[in-house]
Amino acid sequence: MGVSRIASEVAVFARSTYFQYVALFQWASVRGYVAYKILLPVDQMLFFVELGAYATGPENAAYFALGNALQLTANAGIFGVIATVANERHFGTLPILLGSPANRLVTFMSRAVVNVLDGIVTVIIGFAIAIGLFGLDLHHANIPLLALCVVVVSLSTAGLGLMFGSIGLVMRDAIIVANVIYYVMLVLCGVNFPVSRLPGAVQLISYSLPLTRGVEAAREAVAGASFGQVAGLLGGELLVGLAWALAGYALFATLEGWARRGGMQEAY
Amino acid sequence: MRSLVRAAFSSLRLTLRTRVVSGWMYLNWLVFPLIFAAAGLFVLSTPGGSSSRLVYGVLGGGLIGYWSVAYIDGGNGIQDERWQGTLEQVFATPTPLWVIILGKVAGAILFGLLSFVPTAALGYFGFHAVLPQLDPSRFVISLGVLTFTFFCIAITLTPLFALWRWAFSMVNGFEIAVYVLCGFMFPVAILAPWAQGVAGVLAPTWAVRALYASTMAEGPHDLVAWWLVAVGLSLLYLCGAYFLYALVERRARVSGQLAWA
Amino acid sequence: MAMSAQAIEARALRKTYDSTRGVFRREKVTRVALRGVDLAIERGELFGLLGPNGAGKTTMVKIFTTLLLPTSGAATVLGLDVVKDEWALRRRIGFVFGGERGLYWRLSGLDNLRYFADLYRVPPEVSRRRIPELLERLGLAGRERDRVELYSRGMKQRLHLARGLLNDPEVLFLDEPTIGLDPVGARELRVIVRELADAGKTIFLTTHYMFEADAICDRIAVIKAGEIVAEGTPRSIKTLVEDQGVVEFEVVGLPRERLDELRGLPGVSSVAVAEHELAQLVTVHCARPSEVMTQLSAALDGLKLEKLSSREPTLEDAYVQLIGDAET
Repeated sequence: MGVSRIASEVAVFARSTYFQYVALFQWASVRGYVAYKILLPVDQMLFFVELGAYATGPENAAYFALGNALQLTANAGIFGVIATVANERHFGTLPILLGSPANRLVTFMSRAVVNVLDGIVTVIIGFAIAIGLFGLDLHHANIPLLALCVVVVSLSTAGLGLMFGSIGLVMRDAIIVANVIYYVMLVLCGVNFPVSRLPGAVQLISYSLPLTRGVEAAREAVAGASFGQVAGLLGGELLVGLAWALAGYALFATLEGWARRGGMQEAY
Repeated sequence: MRSLVRAAFSSLRLTLRTRVVSGWMYLNWLVFPLIFAAAGLFVLSTPGGSSSRLVYGVLGGGLIGYWSVAYIDGGNGIQDERWQGTLEQVFATPTPLWVIILGKVAGAILFGLLSFVPTAALGYFGFHAVLPQLDPSRFVISLGVLTFTFFCIAITLTPLFALWRWAFSMVNGFEIAVYVLCGFMFPVAILAPWAQGVAGVLAPTWAVRALYASTMAEGPHDLVAWWLVAVGLSLLYLCGAYFLYALVERRARVSGQLAWA
Repeated sequence: MAMSAQAIEARALRKTYDSTRGVFRREKVTRVALRGVDLAIERGELFGLLGPNGAGKTTMVKIFTTLLLPTSGAATVLGLDVVKDEWALRRRIGFVFGGERGLYWRLSGLDNLRYFADLYRVPPEVSRRRIPELLERLGLAGRERDRVELYSRGMKQRLHLARGLLNDPEVLFLDEPTIGLDPVGARELRVIVRELADAGKTIFLTTHYMFEADAICDRIAVIKAGEIVAEGTPRSIKTLVEDQGVVEFEVVGLPRERLDELRGLPGVSSVAVAEHELAQLVTVHCARPSEVMTQLSAALDGLKLEKLSSREPTLEDAYVQLIGDAET
């Protein structure tokens, strides 16, 4: 691969990221942003923290605050990526992007970049709220490790989001399915209670979703664990996210094949 | 008068027909309450906790679903009509907007009541949570009062959505806060005093309190007083709604914005 | 307001829209849609309001149908004030806006009509009889149980018209009803509209197609930038440009500044250019065609003019003349 080839791919990557940025903030008007990025997260944390405090005692509030703060990455990762893809479709930029000779896998993955960044910002907002309002204590925490957990979780949920982005190409109501998954994660991913309390078969689903291992790792990091103690969890979390992204790409490539044979003009 | 009743029924029928085929509706009355009920039941059944709390999981998921459908559907309904370009068409008919919205809200209420079916089933089969202390007549009256409060709130909020699209996303932003303030899944008494103050002016808070009290043997049981407060507050909202509808009809005719998609 | 003998009447009707621009420094912008319109339409007339997009046609229809309040001035329909008597008025008028929106696509045509019949508060015994009649008359019988999303564009428009007729309105407003229809569909719709007028309904139709107004309207008004610039029968409007002629020619590679030179020639009132395959078709409206023709060759020195001809003005020319160069 020559230098100019790499340069051109970097350019495509940058441009598509920029497109996403524009698209993302098109739906997020100031009022919409406040409602969906600040009010809803605060609400969600408030609800589960109060519920948890009622059920298990006020000393456990931080447990619920931490879990729900991390779950917010799914908000950016899943809904953000879907919005990005829907916008590409709406503005007709998708064929242009894919028609370019750049590496298609790279282009496909790049659609999630903005949402990963957005996810990280969302979690930081979530942590600020958890510390300020719900008494999350980070004094003993391994902060750099916690930060790493946040980045990894943002990446893995965006990987799942890419899958839904592809589904969205054929299914008008993909956003509904995404809503289901988003809220299912509240139950299955150890956000509000340990995964071990779920029936065995359901735990299998838990560990095939992003977030589950990341939340576990983050809880360890807050308790002061070292990198070595959670490396396995984080590695697994990354692999799960990558698996979903690759599955999303495979689905996308299949759909594109159909579309090019004229079977499904609508896909773009 | 009869023609207005007919128009309201027609609007109700239209809502039911369009919602039966809407995926969002199933998300709101079936999936969403089930997930909250499951999360709630798992947390409430944490080993060492009191089993009397499980009732909050059984009914809480249903209440969440019921509320979401009752108010969201008004907003979604208006949004749909705007997209289809029918909002302006129905506005121009000799039927006042509140009659049409009345029919829509009634349709949403019927769907919302369905929420209790899957959540109660989950509670019963998944967690063996039953309601042994349930007083059926008090329970039914409380649910009726609750329905009235939801009905009045939805009637009052929907014209706001017709006028300002952003109002819907703002109210959506407060959705889960309402679960907290109205005590859908845990008693309002555990909240900070100022939050309890806010909760007190929300009509459903009192109806929900009566509903839970009707399922428990212990605790205070001033049900009649709570019912009256809930109904009184709801009627106050309706007074506000009267002015809101007048404002909407006026504003819409000045700007012509009902036509915008 | 006193009972008026007119079906529709407007006096000094004015409408402005206010909007704000900018996020931080809010700036108020006022757009004038109607600048004091006077209009009177007799009962039973088929009246056409002609004008380019954005001239104020839709605003006027929306004021008459009680959807918009005028900023100042007064308007009555069937003697009822459009501002104050909206509830009484809405029962007695119908309206159809062009385009496909405004129907419940997921429901059948029949369900759409039944719903709107109830909203128009038509007694059930009446609507049971009237809906099949309308379906029959508008050529939708047999397809009424299909979902609207399966209808062709022309069928949707006819369904719109059926909806507009549910309450057997005395006055019917049609805002660009043929927009987006293919020529056959548009023609079918015009025939139906003419029949409705012949059956005694007052019809207020807006369009930006001159020939449409010419074909079916009893009387026409031309609106430009919120003002009525001409009013009368199609024939009388044509006489406005009777002393005018039209010179047409084709040319290749006509530069802009030459066009301005043409506009400057004595007697020339407007110049329109249409791309015609490789060449440009130039239409010059002027007072003395023969003089202009002799001056043309001097003004366009060096360019080869083809198919040079002069002719009598048509109604279309009258319209172009009234609207000026707005649409070219």
